[in-house]
Amino acid sequence: MSDTTMARPTDRFRIDAQFFGLAAFYLALVVIFSLATPNFMSWSNGVNVLSNVTVLGIVALGQTLAIVSGGFDLSVSGTLPLGAVAYVLLANAAVPIPAAIVLVLALGMVVGVVNGILVNRIGISPLIATLGTLSVTGGLALTLSRGVTIPMTNFDAGFLSEFAFGRVSWYVLVLVVLCILVHVLMRYTILGRMIYAVGGNADASRLAGIRVEAVSVTVYTVCAMLAAFAGVVVSSQLLVGSANVGANVALNSVAAVILGGASLLGGVGTIGGTLVGVLILGTIANGMALMMVPSFYQQMANGAILLLAVGLGRLREKRAGR
Amino acid sequence: MDEALAMQAAAPVRLLFEAQGLIKSYGPNRILMDVDFTLAPGESVALIGENGAGKSTFAKIITGVIRPDEGKLAFDGRDVVFNAPRDALAAGLAFIPQELAYVPNLTVAENIVLGQWPGRSGLTTPSAIRARAGAVCQHYGIHFDLDSPMRLLKLAERQLVEIVKALLRDARMIVLDEPTAALNEQESTALFSILKRLNGQGVGVLYISHRMDEVYRFSDRVDVLRNGRRVASVPPQRTTPSQLIAHMLGQEKEEFARGDQPRSGVAALALRGWKSGGLPALEDVSLDVQAGEIVGLYGVRGSGADVIAEGLAGLNGDVVGEIEIGGKVRRTFGSPYEARAAGIAYVPAERKRDGLVLGLPIRRNITLMMLRSLSRFGVMDGAAERALTDDLVRRFDVRYRGADQPVERLSGGNQQKVLLASRIATKPRYLVLHEPTRGVDVGARVEIHRLLAGVADDGCATLMVTSDVEEAVTVPDRLIVIRDGRIAGELAGAAMTQANAISLATES
Repeated sequence: MSDTTMARPTDRFRIDAQFFGLAAFYLALVVIFSLATPNFMSWSNGVNVLSNVTVLGIVALGQTLAIVSGGFDLSVSGTLPLGAVAYVLLANAAVPIPAAIVLVLALGMVVGVVNGILVNRIGISPLIATLGTLSVTGGLALTLSRGVTIPMTNFDAGFLSEFAFGRVSWYVLVLVVLCILVHVLMRYTILGRMIYAVGGNADASRLAGIRVEAVSVTVYTVCAMLAAFAGVVVSSQLLVGSANVGANVALNSVAAVILGGASLLGGVGTIGGTLVGVLILGTIANGMALMMVPSFYQQMANGAILLLAVGLGRLREKRAGR
Repeated sequence: MDEALAMQAAAPVRLLFEAQGLIKSYGPNRILMDVDFTLAPGESVALIGENGAGKSTFAKIITGVIRPDEGKLAFDGRDVVFNAPRDALAAGLAFIPQELAYVPNLTVAENIVLGQWPGRSGLTTPSAIRARAGAVCQHYGIHFDLDSPMRLLKLAERQLVEIVKALLRDARMIVLDEPTAALNEQESTALFSILKRLNGQGVGVLYISHRMDEVYRFSDRVDVLRNGRRVASVPPQRTTPSQLIAHMLGQEKEEFARGDQPRSGVAALALRGWKSGGLPALEDVSLDVQAGEIVGLYGVRGSGADVIAEGLAGLNGDVVGEIEIGGKVRRTFGSPYEARAAGIAYVPAERKRDGLVLGLPIRRNITLMMLRSLSRFGVMDGAAERALTDDLVRRFDVRYRGADQPVERLSGGNQQKVLLASRIATKPRYLVLHEPTRGVDVGARVEIHRLLAGVADDGCATLMVTSDVEEAVTVPDRLIVIRDGRIAGELAGAAMTQANAISLATES
């Protein structure tokens, strides 16, 4: 007992150093934007940032699971609009809202199981497999919506956008709750342990008696369900169902997860890190908008952040490999 | 003119290759100590020695893969310094490693001329490539389908392609690292008859071997390395296998005594009639282990010992046969999960590849197989986990800075202890160890052996699969020796000596 407690500080420091580096970068961003624009540092703008990152945040939670398990999920950019369109269609058809949400989640589950089977049973690389299902689900969303934006006629379906307290919407609370749940899942459950083990070394995990394929299928399923649910949130925010939402969410979620300290090789990454990664992306978009920077500069900044994220991840892997 | 005369006087036989006073150390470990070596044109030399004797290091030094700390190399009478395998190849010295390097999707002809394409100004044609490759094959009398993709060839054929590739680059000396380890009898004979033919054309051959029979059948001379020194260099006809084995062993080192344990006499774990395809093919292998007993399974590389270990881990689907475990008879395992569910704890040979999750802390590696019993409703019980790992880390004397430290930062010996701890944590009744002390320092090795004895004393049926002869005769209660996929014999008590084990494993 004594030796482990004695040893703790060194490791804690190592993990925290990485996390604090990221948090410091975020704080620097906040300071820069606060100085650059007077409206940035306010309660309402804080809530605004959170509101804007909710959809990306929910998807990034699932993406964290996929990446830590050694996988990758591009199909979230198809599952999300599919969930959005399906939700509005169901709600407009007078399906009770809770049932509509359950059905959308079931739809996400199907996509996730298909992804999991393609990757694990058939052995297609995650990139190709989810690129394929991205196209299929995105096309399906377009087909269901006949390519047009469907107005929400049942306004109860927008309940997530109502204010829970002050000017904080329900969906922000939902994001917070999901973050806590997934954090607990990753850190304190058997499944979480298995995800880290499988991502770190699938062969060793298999030999240790872990059903690697089952773990991976579960991860893809949770990831797709979260993406489908993000579709529900988008529809609640926009009060429409559209197949044209969420196109950037696949790459942005990967960027956020990698920025948050995960490795594309798998086995590394935390929900806390991902959350900061998501906030960095959201804050940059928000700050630049407040500074009246034209949106195409934002697009370039997003690209630069993506490269920065992947570049940092790569450098970290190199250093770890030495 | 004078120089040439002087050289002739010094060496009546013109030498193709000569190495003098090779010394190589890694840190405090001296791998090679003042090794000399010569090879005449057309000569075939076998290099033998125990694991860690320095054979591979020697082969890598003379072929430019690594540089010696001291020593001189001469090729064809001229002093040479090889900074890379490329330099050696340019001089005429080719190395055929165990892990062949080729392009699987190119044809045999394309692989043979790789980097040496016939043609002018950067242009070449498939027919010119084919003609060039065909000409070399013709010249040395080696035949294969030049248009077949390399990946479709058998290992033995791929080896021959590598040899032809070397010959195309005018290699006059070929060094092979255990060329027959994964070949069957006919393939080995075919390989050596081709090497003999090359000898006839003046090509010198040096090969590392684990097999006494091929040393006697194919080599003009056999050199023995022991602890980094060349301790013998004789034509095989002038010595006996037992003399060679004595040269390989020197005197025995490790002291390890395990008292006689009372045994039930009932097999706790038994293999019945195991067979497998592939190489080496197992042929009707049966063996049993009693509770509280450590049984060793010893064989040289390619003997089938690995196949048995992997079969017991559920890793090798080609093995058919029966397993008797805990009084029940069942078929061989279809997956690692089945093996685990049957109660077998398996310690793999490649700890980094198959055993540990290197990026995860010691604690998480130790409890990898214990997740269910350390949790309630899927949520980990942190206190129970800490108690278990603290206990095991102390018992196994793992040297670390913190149980949260990633295992990749530990030394090989400590990593191996963590791997063992993760298996022992499950309190297994059947323990299968595959090369339990490979790449482990001497101190940790003795500790691991003591731990294994302790685990067996608690009633665990332990099967230790090893290619380390010293370990094979010191730790187990009895030793089964396997050769060419068959049980070659069993040793116990006073008969369990390194010489007996090697002679059973290498002579046919």
